[in-house]
Amino acid sequence: MLSFAARRLAVAALLVWAVASLVFLVIHLIPGDPAELLLAQGGVAPDPDSVAALREKLGLDQPLWVQYRDHLASLLHADFGLSMVDEHPIGAEIALRLPRTLELVGLAGLLATLIGLPLGILAALTIGRLPDRILSAAAGLALSVPVFVVGTLAVLVLAQQLHWVPAGGYVPLAKDPLRHFILVLMPAATIALGLAAAVLRVTRSAVLEVLERDHVRAAQARGLPPVTIVRRHVLRNALMPVVTVLALHLGSLLGGTVLVEFVFNYPGLSGYLVRAVEARDYPEVTAIVLVISALFVLLNLLIDLCYVLIDPRVRHG
Amino acid sequence: MQKLLMPGLLLTVIVAAALLAPVLPLPDPVRQDVGARLAGPSLAHWAGQDEYGRDVLARLVWGARVSLSVAFAASFLAAIAGMFLGVLGGYFRGLVELATVRAAEVVLCFPPLLLALLVVTLLGPGADTLIFCLAILFAPGFARVAYAETLATRNLDYVTAQTSLGTPTVRILMRTLLPNIAAPLIVQFSLTIAAALLLESGLSFLGLGVVPPAPSWGLMIRSARATMEQAPLLLVWPCLALSGTVLILNLLCDRLRDVLDPRGSRARPGFLRTLAALPSKRATSMPTASGLLSVRGLTLEAPGPHGPIPVVRGVEFDVAPGETVAIVGESGSGKTLTGLAIMGLLPPAISVVSGEIVLSSRSGQQLDILRLREREIRALRGGDIAMVFQDPSSSLNPLHRTGSPIAESLRAHGNPGHRVTELLRRVGLPDPSRAARAYPHELSGGQRQRVMIATAIANHPRLLVADEPTTALDVTVQAQILDLLSDLKRSDQGMGMIFVSHNLAVVSEIADRVVVMYAGQVVEQGPAAEVFAHPHHPYTAALIASTPEDDIDRLATIAGAVPQPWALPQGCSFAPRCGHATPGCESQAPELFRHGERRAARCLRWREFA
Amino acid sequence: MTAAALNRRALLAASATLPFLRIPAVRAATPGLLTFGLSSYPPTLQPWANGGTASSTIKLMIHRGLTSFSRDGNPQPELAESWSRDDEKTWVFKLRDARFHNGEKVTAADVQWTFDQIADEKSTAYFRAEMQRIAKVEAPDARTVRLVTKQPLVTVPNWLANFHMPIVSRSSPKGSPIGAGPFVPKGQERGVSIDLERFDAYYKPGLPKLKAIRAIAYADENLRLAALRSGDVDLIEYVPWQAMDAIAGDPALKLDAVDGPFMYLVFNGSRPPFNDARVRRAVAHAIKREELVKAAFFGRGSPLEHLPISESSSFYNADFKNGWHYDPDLSKRLLAEAGHGGGLSCSLLSTAQYGMHKDSAEIVQQHLAAVGINATLNLPDWATRVNLGNRGQYEIGIMGNTAESNDPDGLAAVLDGSLAASYVRSFGLKIDSIIELMEAGRTSFDEAKRRTIYRNLEQVAIDQAPIVGLTWRSQGYAMRKDVAGFSNFPGALTFYSGETFETTTTA
Repeated sequence: MLSFAARRLAVAALLVWAVASLVFLVIHLIPGDPAELLLAQGGVAPDPDSVAALREKLGLDQPLWVQYRDHLASLLHADFGLSMVDEHPIGAEIALRLPRTLELVGLAGLLATLIGLPLGILAALTIGRLPDRILSAAAGLALSVPVFVVGTLAVLVLAQQLHWVPAGGYVPLAKDPLRHFILVLMPAATIALGLAAAVLRVTRSAVLEVLERDHVRAAQARGLPPVTIVRRHVLRNALMPVVTVLALHLGSLLGGTVLVEFVFNYPGLSGYLVRAVEARDYPEVTAIVLVISALFVLLNLLIDLCYVLIDPRVRHG
Repeated sequence: MQKLLMPGLLLTVIVAAALLAPVLPLPDPVRQDVGARLAGPSLAHWAGQDEYGRDVLARLVWGARVSLSVAFAASFLAAIAGMFLGVLGGYFRGLVELATVRAAEVVLCFPPLLLALLVVTLLGPGADTLIFCLAILFAPGFARVAYAETLATRNLDYVTAQTSLGTPTVRILMRTLLPNIAAPLIVQFSLTIAAALLLESGLSFLGLGVVPPAPSWGLMIRSARATMEQAPLLLVWPCLALSGTVLILNLLCDRLRDVLDPRGSRARPGFLRTLAALPSKRATSMPTASGLLSVRGLTLEAPGPHGPIPVVRGVEFDVAPGETVAIVGESGSGKTLTGLAIMGLLPPAISVVSGEIVLSSRSGQQLDILRLREREIRALRGGDIAMVFQDPSSSLNPLHRTGSPIAESLRAHGNPGHRVTELLRRVGLPDPSRAARAYPHELSGGQRQRVMIATAIANHPRLLVADEPTTALDVTVQAQILDLLSDLKRSDQGMGMIFVSHNLAVVSEIADRVVVMYAGQVVEQGPAAEVFAHPHHPYTAALIASTPEDDIDRLATIAGAVPQPWALPQGCSFAPRCGHATPGCESQAPELFRHGERRAARCLRWREFA
Repeated sequence: MTAAALNRRALLAASATLPFLRIPAVRAATPGLLTFGLSSYPPTLQPWANGGTASSTIKLMIHRGLTSFSRDGNPQPELAESWSRDDEKTWVFKLRDARFHNGEKVTAADVQWTFDQIADEKSTAYFRAEMQRIAKVEAPDARTVRLVTKQPLVTVPNWLANFHMPIVSRSSPKGSPIGAGPFVPKGQERGVSIDLERFDAYYKPGLPKLKAIRAIAYADENLRLAALRSGDVDLIEYVPWQAMDAIAGDPALKLDAVDGPFMYLVFNGSRPPFNDARVRRAVAHAIKREELVKAAFFGRGSPLEHLPISESSSFYNADFKNGWHYDPDLSKRLLAEAGHGGGLSCSLLSTAQYGMHKDSAEIVQQHLAAVGINATLNLPDWATRVNLGNRGQYEIGIMGNTAESNDPDGLAAVLDGSLAASYVRSFGLKIDSIIELMEAGRTSFDEAKRRTIYRNLEQVAIDQAPIVGLTWRSQGYAMRKDVAGFSNFPGALTFYSGETFETTTTA
């Protein structure tokens, strides 16, 4: 068991390293460099000497392998380095934004589960009948309307027309808890709409599959009421695929809330990443990707842990 | 297949519109008419004009062409690549698995939008890049599905057989594995197309998608968002097109799954609604059976491609208190359905056509199970009547400790839950209190079946239905379980038992009376000893003949197979396989001839065998 | 639509019945605090480096230069209370009694230090190259600065008014420059917002009127607008063109928009076909600019058929007004003359990241197609577009820009082919007469002579088409009705409107 865990961790570390190296290479390969871009803001022509000076200052004149070596060396010291654009410490910025992204993604996951799970069960139990049909159609619709449309509509109606909520942004929890919560809730709900539909669909099919299993029939043969059967013998068994799908979605959301962050002006990690790519801020891009992929791998380990909690067979196997 | 018609037709219309866009009488989708920008729907422009005055309808149709071809091409590429990786990894395992499936999963570590951003920036935006990018994103999904299915399939008997016969690996992969994993992959494919359509819109919104002026739905949504207050309809059209197509794809995918894998399309009865299988009769007409259970004229149907198919036809038998009745027959004879009908646990696809199953309950009432409400039957299940199933490993919930079903059963019928260990001891588990805390996978097959039996007898049932309770067990364990059952019967006087089995050797050990079923009908019944000594039906005789003393599992030696329920012979169902059949047997369906008080046989020539 | 309408009605009904749900969404109005919706978060606030328009606006709150621009576009005294010229090459600036944010006086030594920093070998300053034109900077006393140029340089006061030329205290700690502007930066959340507070010792008595400014970045224009309408912010920059009419008609808001920046085409002049002036002119005459204004800028702008010299400028030449007028037949003739009678194919570089660039490209493509120029769009992200432009990997490019000042010398960056290759001007296109005229205009102090020089220059430009003007585009600020004292500067100076934050008030 211990050697298994050690191997898992080693593979995970290898995976994270591979991803970070790949990104390092690709981001250097794509056209444009931070020095040129930084000085060309707003459509002006920078002086080539200034660009060269900045390039030298940023170490961009070094051969790629030297840059890579230095990059790895600083990473080994748990140092993400400084932004090439404004010399802001990257570690601090990630420490600031990561919790916000986790809060957003976590809240979205929670909402999606609270909505998707019960409705998925309802759809499965009423398969082929009206509730199932309505829910399945609604899920299809929710899955197919792009988040940036939903988000923009929400802002338009709730903020601009009704003045119920602020038009996006972010306020720290300590400063104004209510406003903080509303500002997180809006993008979270927008993400949750599609996510809940995904959870609904996978719950529905997982429950249907479990309903077919022999132990459910055996439970019926014991004369248990349907509520007990669903609660004790269907739900928990159906949870594994639901957890898997939810975790996969949440994992890809770690760096994938770009559109929602944009539409709601939410200062999370994805927007930071996209801006870093746009500014070709090499150390920022690699650092953020490193953190995100490490989190993703961690999340996968957590799922495995969930399996252990849910299924005793995994625990002993 | 009919279920596929609707979504298939709708998808065909969309695809056809996309394919035929060049020949349809539509305006040029890129021709601008800035003077009439943002104009609403008109006769010339049915869906209005966009911010450059281009015809929205034309752009929708041409956009379908771009969006769908990107989605299809990407899904296709992803499917090919993913399948290749998954099948290779799943078939060869080891290093190959690492290099294929695990390597593909590196992609999953990337935030999808970052991957798209990097790929598009590196290769430049455009439909080709988009296809490539989406294919990379979706390939690991296919690889996973193909991998899992390959793992499952490669261990199947016929694949193992082919491998040992020396069939070249490539041929095994192509001929055997691919058709087997096709079903889940096709489902995955339609899911991927829907996902690709959505992602295309997201990427276009970020400017990473199709290059203008070529229309795509994603681009249309992007540009309509800017003018959503001036011309909201511009946003509605592409969103509708996208949602509609995704909905149709989802529907098609669901239906496809049902068709390819029919198991998933049914649910258990008795959830959220109670069914009375048959309309209830007037109480006065209730027959008063002297015994414990009386089955009369039980006829069940299953839906078939050309109308309902009879699967159980006019089955009749009785069970007296304390009596063990064995129902014997090959698979497909209807014996298991008969058992389930007694429990009121028929699958929803099976409908009760006619008949009665009258149980004299503990309270002294005569209850017709086919006419009870679900709630009323539920009170009987696990109480008056209990059931032991064939496979103890799947009948126990793997997530619950073994004591839990017993406790559940006790509590469901108002009995205190502390008798769990006592019951486990009763069924002969060596360390009952520890066994109660164990998980099913920690017990052996025989021990699990003992747990199931303990669960069944928890509330002292008047009737125990045991459906092939020993079939899934080792030979030595089988004998122990049979001993346990006879033991229980002896100690619990008055409990009747219905023992469903295809195994005559087992039946001869435990049954008082035997009911032989063939093709949904009772072909012979009588006291066990008499039937075994002097079978009156050639089928019974053949069954007995094909059961050597020491090999319990050989019924297949009767030539031919049980006729399919939708292709029953006109005359005697057994005639095509019967060595004694006459022309009369093939033209006339025999009735059940009674012979004395206790015996009956469904054979024209029974007298000759008696 | 009925479903949506129903939904909307239901929501409105719910809002009426549930007034307690009206959480305090609208900012609790702090007296004297102005919230300002930026179009993007300034990537850098380094005083002399170029960080784009949002950065420049913030810099105008924090810093002041020796001179500044007045509303009419001419340089005016700022930290220097006056200036004079000893001879054609020597400028003398008299400093006024102003203070930096750290309380120290603004002295000639600070000015000298600032110039040294900009000229430094390692400097990333925007005007580092310009400093080559300076022979020396002297500080005869604490209040006097003498600037000696190598050649006569008429544009020195314009240059010193630029927002990339602020005077910074020489005792600034490394990395946190101290300015002398009306507002002091108090804190920033990177990528989100910047907080500034009134500088009490600002040299202009009674200014600034605001107590504090909070600048919040809203990258999404729809959201920036919604923030203004919902009351989250008081003032926004870069008003989306499609919303200008609605804002102008909104009783709670007002719009201040001017035609300032312009859109134009650049060419790769290093290889055929666009090294041929006839082909470039063919492009110039092929574009129907009214449609561009209508479709890309919702009518908020005007056609630009000559060099981007504003009509209000004294250097404006009315007879060139329609120099590149729409004439597809002429285009076709010019193409035929150049040997492309059968049409030609080329690439058209723009970016999908900014709507106005993408929209302009789509329309230009259509117009070019009509005269037989088959342009394939290339719409990478902005960074790639800049890179491709700098390296000349394109044939026609769409650009948007402003002149550095309302002086025609401000067009040098766009027109002067002797400067290093850049995406803002045509690639590898050196037109000697333009280079010479630019130099001549820069070194002449005679107003009438300069007018002739730039007139000749425009004549050459119309014939040679080193760039092709497309449209002036409107640049708008929108604010709540109670915001006063803020105004949009005319023409090329629109991005200097940030200077008026010192006189801005909010109720």
